[in-house]
Amino acid sequence: MSQAELEAISKAITEGDDAEAERLVRQALEHGLAPHDIMHGGIVGGITKAGELWKSNQYFLPDVILAADAFRAAMRPVEPLLKESRERSPQGKFVLGTVEGDMHNLGKSLVGALLTSAGFEVIDLGIDVPRAKFIEAVKVHQPAFLGLGAYMSTTMLQMKGIIAELEAQGLRRNLKVMVGGVPTSQEFADEVHADAWGKDALDAMQKALKLRGA
Amino acid sequence: MGNQTLEVLHGILYGKGIRFGQLSSLGGMLATITGKHGDVVPFIAPQIHDHAMTVARVSASKYYWNAELLVRTQIAVERWYGFGLFTVIPDSYNFEVEALGAKMIYSDAAMPTVDLNEPLIKSPADLDRVGPLDPSKGRIPNAIEMGKLVPKLAPGPLSGGYFCSPWSLICLAVTYPKAIRALMRDKAYGRALFDWAENQALWPYLQALAKAGVKNAIGADAWSAFPDMSPELLEEWVMPYAKRFNDRAKKELGMTTSAGFLAGDYCEEDPAKFDKELMFKALAICHRSFALDVTPIVMGRTQDWDMRWVQEFAVLNGKGGRKLPIFASLNGRFMRDAPLDRILDKIRGWIDIMGRDGGLMFFIGNVPADTPPLNMHTAVQAVKILGRYPIVQDLASIPVEPARFQPFDVWLKDQPEADLIFKAREK
Repeated sequence: MSQAELEAISKAITEGDDAEAERLVRQALEHGLAPHDIMHGGIVGGITKAGELWKSNQYFLPDVILAADAFRAAMRPVEPLLKESRERSPQGKFVLGTVEGDMHNLGKSLVGALLTSAGFEVIDLGIDVPRAKFIEAVKVHQPAFLGLGAYMSTTMLQMKGIIAELEAQGLRRNLKVMVGGVPTSQEFADEVHADAWGKDALDAMQKALKLRGA
Repeated sequence: MGNQTLEVLHGILYGKGIRFGQLSSLGGMLATITGKHGDVVPFIAPQIHDHAMTVARVSASKYYWNAELLVRTQIAVERWYGFGLFTVIPDSYNFEVEALGAKMIYSDAAMPTVDLNEPLIKSPADLDRVGPLDPSKGRIPNAIEMGKLVPKLAPGPLSGGYFCSPWSLICLAVTYPKAIRALMRDKAYGRALFDWAENQALWPYLQALAKAGVKNAIGADAWSAFPDMSPELLEEWVMPYAKRFNDRAKKELGMTTSAGFLAGDYCEEDPAKFDKELMFKALAICHRSFALDVTPIVMGRTQDWDMRWVQEFAVLNGKGGRKLPIFASLNGRFMRDAPLDRILDKIRGWIDIMGRDGGLMFFIGNVPADTPPLNMHTAVQAVKILGRYPIVQDLASIPVEPARFQPFDVWLKDQPEADLIFKAREK
């Protein structure tokens, strides 16, 4: 029964049915399934399958949007329950935000959701984040990672300044910086001295885990 | 010749094989579009708004509010690079929703952007509350002024007024994810959104453009690019509503509009996902949506494409023994990031594959702000050297040196735009 429930959750997420995904997760919790099992046995599988369909040209961005909606809906009931176990065995803190003047939200949110699913404690600073706020967040939270997103070729230039400021203030010693967003590239990531470039949300999560040694 | 009508006629005759005299840039373009080719592969000045603003060192807070400054700055920077046929593309997305009251983000370094954190339309009930657009509000008067200025100062294939196409406007008013949900989950709301975009947001602006004497307007629709939209969603929603809009503009206002411009532009970013069948589907839609009768490749990751596919599409969709001319855009980020030898190799390769039989034009899909001017100057120079007809057999044997050029400010001193741009830099 539990395997069938997990598969149903996974299917609802892949097909982008947010209401059904949330209902099935709540039902699974009521039936006694562990949050961690629901997460890794159903929710992550569903969004991963959507990602695979996207990669094989069977899904287009609108399909991915709906799947991401369903993913977030499914996460709602389990998120508070997962927090406790995350605190016991964390991957570390991951501060995330879109740079100032930029509204790039969807990609950043997907990255945040996948990092959460991978066990990171994500501190999402939101969009249109000034340089000073990134620096302050690094000082306050002392994260293992800082993720910078940008959607426009004009705003991405700010990443260089943020990273330079981190270096100038001696804040990079225990901090990995990742960059991502449509106009960025590996060449750009190298140029601004980032530790990694996330080509897409899945790639960002995989690279963060790799840098973490997981 | 200095007379546009004569330049056009000259180009058409030249393209048909009646070759005499020195073609103008406009003539060369017309020869390529209507015939086989001109004397050289045309390089149409690119979408360059942010880059021109950065090169000219004027602040966004002046540039995007002053029609004359924006138009003349773009023309000056394009002339500095050696383009003969100018393109002036303003902010073509944000000003209608701005005038309707959308929350915006303003800065001195970038184009005004809609703050999608607090969208203008949060629920269906808002459709009755928001609009109609008042053409005297926000930057609408400036957009109308640009619609008048651009055809005068930069006549060309993409010249005219600009507006945000219905689908892209919906994305900016409600956010893209919510707009997608409406189309896929709540079709009645989807239809209501398109009706609102046309009647409440765009039509008052279009009427004001028509009243100002603007005859031609392009409706930018980047949110309709592939894979942001699937071919199925484009055919079900974007294309029919764009057609309805264009037909109505023609009938009621006597205007030629291109709502849905760039719908289907193949913008797949992952080379591993490039797919010939999907690309051909997207190109066919984009051909229908484009303002010119060409094979349009505009904003995609073209540096990694197999251009033999594009040539094949152009030949398959040609008529009367000539291929559908190819509007071939070098990717803006490629122009920014690639070393010169890669850019030159790309130009050689494209001319070799798509230029030998004519019907090839170069363009750049939105030059990023920080693109090195050396890359731009050298690319323009390279197309002039390598694209001269008849195309030489061994393009690799033709050397192209890095361009030498005056710094922009030194060059600008003797130009008609000098006072305007230097004054705009003052606080």
